Amino acid sequence: MALQREQLEADVLIVGAGPAGLSCALHLANLIKQHNASGAKPELSAENIYVLEKGREIGAHQLSGAIMNPSALAELVPDFAKTAPLDTPVTDSAALIFTQKSSYRIPITPPPFNNAGNYVISLSKLVKWLGGLVESAGVNLFKEFGGAELIYSGDGIAGVITEDKGLDKNGKPKDNYTPGYELRAKVTVLAEGTRGSLTKQLVAKKKLDNINPQSYGIGIKELWEVLPGKIQPGFVAHTLGWPVSSKMYGGGWIYGLQNNRISIGLVIALEYGDSRFDPHAAFQTWKTHPYVCNLLDGGQLVRYGAKSLPYGGWYAMPRNYIDGGLIVGDSGSFLDSQRLKGVHLAMKSGMLAAETIFEALKKEDYSAKTLQAYKEKIDHSYIKTELWKVRNFHQSFRNGMLDGFFHSALQQVTSGRGLFDPMRAHAGHEAYGKIHGRPAPERFKGDGKLTFDRLTDVYHSGTRHEEDQPCHLKVRDLNICATRCVEEYGNPCQYFCPAAVYEMATEGGALKLKINAANCVHCKTCDIADPYQIIDWVVPEGGGGPNYDGM
Amino acid sequence: MKILVITEQRQGKWNNTSFETLVAAQQIAAATSGTVSALVIGKDVAIFADELASKNVAEVLLIEHDLLENYTPDGYCVALKQVIEAAKPDLVLFPHTYQVRDFAPKLAASLGKGMIGDCVGFRSEGGKLVFVRQMFQGKTAADVTFTGAAPWFVSFQSGAFRADLLAAHPGGKAPIKAAKVTLNAGDIRTKPLELFKEAKSAVDLTQASLIVAIGRGIKAPENIAQVEALAKALGAEIAASRPICDEGWLPMDRQIGSSGQTVAPKLYLALGISGAIQHVVGMKGSRTIVAVNKDQNAPIFEIADYGIVADIFEVMPALTEELQKAKG
Repeated sequence: MALQREQLEADVLIVGAGPAGLSCALHLANLIKQHNASGAKPELSAENIYVLEKGREIGAHQLSGAIMNPSALAELVPDFAKTAPLDTPVTDSAALIFTQKSSYRIPITPPPFNNAGNYVISLSKLVKWLGGLVESAGVNLFKEFGGAELIYSGDGIAGVITEDKGLDKNGKPKDNYTPGYELRAKVTVLAEGTRGSLTKQLVAKKKLDNINPQSYGIGIKELWEVLPGKIQPGFVAHTLGWPVSSKMYGGGWIYGLQNNRISIGLVIALEYGDSRFDPHAAFQTWKTHPYVCNLLDGGQLVRYGAKSLPYGGWYAMPRNYIDGGLIVGDSGSFLDSQRLKGVHLAMKSGMLAAETIFEALKKEDYSAKTLQAYKEKIDHSYIKTELWKVRNFHQSFRNGMLDGFFHSALQQVTSGRGLFDPMRAHAGHEAYGKIHGRPAPERFKGDGKLTFDRLTDVYHSGTRHEEDQPCHLKVRDLNICATRCVEEYGNPCQYFCPAAVYEMATEGGALKLKINAANCVHCKTCDIADPYQIIDWVVPEGGGGPNYDGM
Repeated sequence: MKILVITEQRQGKWNNTSFETLVAAQQIAAATSGTVSALVIGKDVAIFADELASKNVAEVLLIEHDLLENYTPDGYCVALKQVIEAAKPDLVLFPHTYQVRDFAPKLAASLGKGMIGDCVGFRSEGGKLVFVRQMFQGKTAADVTFTGAAPWFVSFQSGAFRADLLAAHPGGKAPIKAAKVTLNAGDIRTKPLELFKEAKSAVDLTQASLIVAIGRGIKAPENIAQVEALAKALGAEIAASRPICDEGWLPMDRQIGSSGQTVAPKLYLALGISGAIQHVVGMKGSRTIVAVNKDQNAPIFEIADYGIVADIFEVMPALTEELQKAKG
């Protein structure tokens, strides 16, 4: 007999309480409030908006640099400057070129790196605050619940099933077993963030892909408390060059926060050809540059985290409306890869989705035809203005930094058109070269003060999962790992995972993939960067995952 | 409305949620001008029926049968089904116990009825009963009603009603009626074994004064016997770092570290443990730490009081032998 799940019905179900999902919820609740106050019919209720969040707390899984352009927040919460936890306004933005021993500040900071008017923030804190506003507006916010499965209906979707709780390693019910709920909604908003697990399924099943596949990067971040006077709050720097080879696309960041805190990190596009490149090690090496090392000297690591990010931009944006469904935020490719800014676009996309849903609720029509208004609103908003200018930006760097600068300079003077428009992209995992028997590189160990091994860093991510649960990293064919992948690529999962989840262990003389799922920081890199595309990241039991408080 | 409450007792002791459920029944009866019958099921349980007769109920039904001495889902279902079919209640209430979770859905299904489990309250709305259940781990509550015909099956969560509100019988005693049931040994497919209480944790490592802990260096589960020998010679408990418990080589309650237990024994002997911070936070308070590891750069040596850079498979047997000699 099929399992009967408890059913609940909502008007709107939002999967993911990040900037996009919460902005959607808050804006919609505000519109409903005005609508009801005017006496208009039908009467609507913010209580019929449900938001799911897989994290232990709202904000627990939020990780970004972060520099935020406040434009969308100003529209959503007009008095934000007084109430929002914005750490500090940007006071000085620098672009630095690194060589191994020295650094060089570009005298006139190029416009994409100029952050005047923006704020250095902790995204986790901002989202937590936003979550409070959403709850006060009467929306039902359920933390520790993830969207595990989509409910398909006709040509579209009709809700999600939340994850089963209380299953053991082998999938057998434990004492506390609670089957997931079947949440049905008139409109389901996928706001899962980068590489959403439901979005991935939906885009594949309904063929919503754009002309380019999505391109991704991985960002690895540490939050440090440094000695007083080391950095001015509001000073932000982006670094290019060492240790990122000119064949790769990536760079570092250094953001000064209040209270002698400093956010540092490295972003690398997940399309590097060396299958045994280790992004975490590259970040640790970057920290040994004299410029960074001097800042950190005498300081202390506070927190660690990693997350992928969608670089693909306009031409990788999936169709974002279907019957009963919308896609917002990072799940929908709302990120400006040139400026590396996505928070304001994610928020704006959520707000435009809210306006679309509000109209649909009044018309009581949730078909793709009605929800298409979302796409039109995007086309007439600053989302398109910003993303259109850089529509070919990331693709320019396929062949390395020099090529990229050439193309992007051309695009700069041709409103984004450049030499080729649209410039095509390939999925990053296709870029790996075979290892041809070359020996494995030595693993990075760290000195325990300035640099760390992955396990030590993972400890500082605060990640925690119920240990006795089914593995949430589904590898479709473990044979490939132990045979073909060993030969062809040397098991890149051991290298790209910034949380030491994957390791090849020898068992009875044979190699076998061992998955330390409890270490997972939910960055989704494995789902993206696996050469055979056989890893599916699915939601673990709700509440599991990192604790990015302050990140 | 005719309400039947199935109470629960075992080995001469009430399950107190039974009384809470009786209170729920009295309140529903008051709201619907109904009557409450209480039911006791088992063998030699008349004394329980007698106690219930002093409460404000219309009658007490007593099912006694040799085959009901021990609880079995089949025995309970077969017996209760007959009584429910004869007594024709509108509403059957249960305390939401583990036992009820086991048999009540089966009982309801055998009568072709639905069940609303784990309720925390009820309301009577225009003659229709609405039951309240918690959802999303208590974050929200759902109103649930029955659509089909009676009897309806409902269980109430422990603590949902106050047992001290249970009203006594106004006129002294309610009648006790023995309910006849036909039950054959062949009806019961399970054979209950002796009751046992699961120990909270087989081992409380926090109380151990000597701990021998193993890590990846142990290599294979068959090598654990060597560690057991050493632990026995030393009179110590065995513990492990996460990979070992993760593989299932030792139970999870022997795991030390951020996702396991935190210990501070007099002696912590770490064998083949590298000393990742996740493990170290669970044992760094130990009085004396002795580490054995092949890798002289293993971080465990940074916190160890004594370190041996060696193969644990050489150290373990030697140490065991010396300990045995010393003990004579």
